[in-house]
Amino acid sequence: MRGIDILLVEDNPGDLALTMRALARSNVANRVQVARDGAEALEFLFREGQHGGRSDGTDPAVILLDLKLPKVDGLEVLHRLKEDPRTRQIPVVVLTSSGEQRDLVESYQLGVNSYIVKPVDFEQFAEAVRQIGFYWLLLNQRPGGPAEP
Amino acid sequence: MEISLSPLETEEGTLAMSSIRDVTESRSAQAALKQAVGELESFAYSISHDLRAPLRTIDGFSQALQEDFAPALPPEAQSYVEWIRQGTRTMSRLIDDLLRFSHLGRQALVCRPVDMEALVREVAEGLGLGDALTLHPLPPCHGDRALLRQVWTNLLSNAAKYSRNAEPPRIQVDFQAGAYRVGDNGVGFDMRYAHKVFGVFQRLHPVEEFEGTGVGLAIAQRIVQRHGGTICAESEPGRGATFSFSIGGGTGP
Repeated sequence: MRGIDILLVEDNPGDLALTMRALARSNVANRVQVARDGAEALEFLFREGQHGGRSDGTDPAVILLDLKLPKVDGLEVLHRLKEDPRTRQIPVVVLTSSGEQRDLVESYQLGVNSYIVKPVDFEQFAEAVRQIGFYWLLLNQRPGGPAEP
Repeated sequence: MEISLSPLETEEGTLAMSSIRDVTESRSAQAALKQAVGELESFAYSISHDLRAPLRTIDGFSQALQEDFAPALPPEAQSYVEWIRQGTRTMSRLIDDLLRFSHLGRQALVCRPVDMEALVREVAEGLGLGDALTLHPLPPCHGDRALLRQVWTNLLSNAAKYSRNAEPPRIQVDFQAGAYRVGDNGVGFDMRYAHKVFGVFQRLHPVEEFEGTGVGLAIAQRIVQRHGGTICAESEPGRGATFSFSIGGGTGP
């Protein structure tokens, strides 16, 4: 059974709409799951609450994680994911407005796989999303998938 | 309270001199300063996150308007949308520059001996100045290489920008009377406004002629001041400009 391509964790409705637009344009992601805050993201990934019935094999290939989120913030989500062996191997790409050093340092300390600062210019933003999608969904290899050259 | 004891040598032998000082005011001033710095840091952090997101929305949906409704949008409407997008690009640059400027006041200087001549060569190569630049021998100094690189980058890229219409553009870097100098043969500026040239977001030329947000010199000045030095400018309209800066012995405030 095919898994989710991307778990997109984003609370800002404008950014959410634009990211979905960019993903649609780039044609790399077919199945995108959206979580509007950190708590929902954790529920999805750990199959709790409203996502208690999520079946095996539907883990996302990559998580796009905003940092400033309601309820449970991005860094806390990252911490929980990388701490738990069940979710540790899912690549996490932080996609955030913040270029602040302390966010960068903290994210890498927690084991983030990649950190991208969202460009303000939409063309650049769409290009970044396209590259992220292409890299993590097509080029990058994950355990459990077929290893093809 | 602060209590200190110090030995006092007298003919009758060693006495102890003690002083008791009320440091309440000094301590509370320090605490207030710390709080102010902390607030500034949160402010910069907030700008970084919160101001960029709505800008992205404006730019993204302006482009979406252009793309999805092109047939329905008359050329004038298209140009209005272009104005909107230009506005967001400018605002985005302003935010970036403001953040850069605010960081300068807060980061610690890492001072080492710096080969200024080699640094200028590096920056010039990065900017692609080529033959336009004449570099005279420069003495080394003691300072933060990364920040000094920023000063040279701002001064040299300004020199290149404002002299690009000269035939041919000429930039000269030398050292005289204790100051490093960058001179160009570009458009120059009116000395009546010399006191404004280092102000944040201050520009003396129309943005349609010469792009930029007007923070480059403010940043250069801040860095030079933190090194305990000074920077000044001399110019004549149509006859180029010379910027000179000195690096003090050690670290400034």
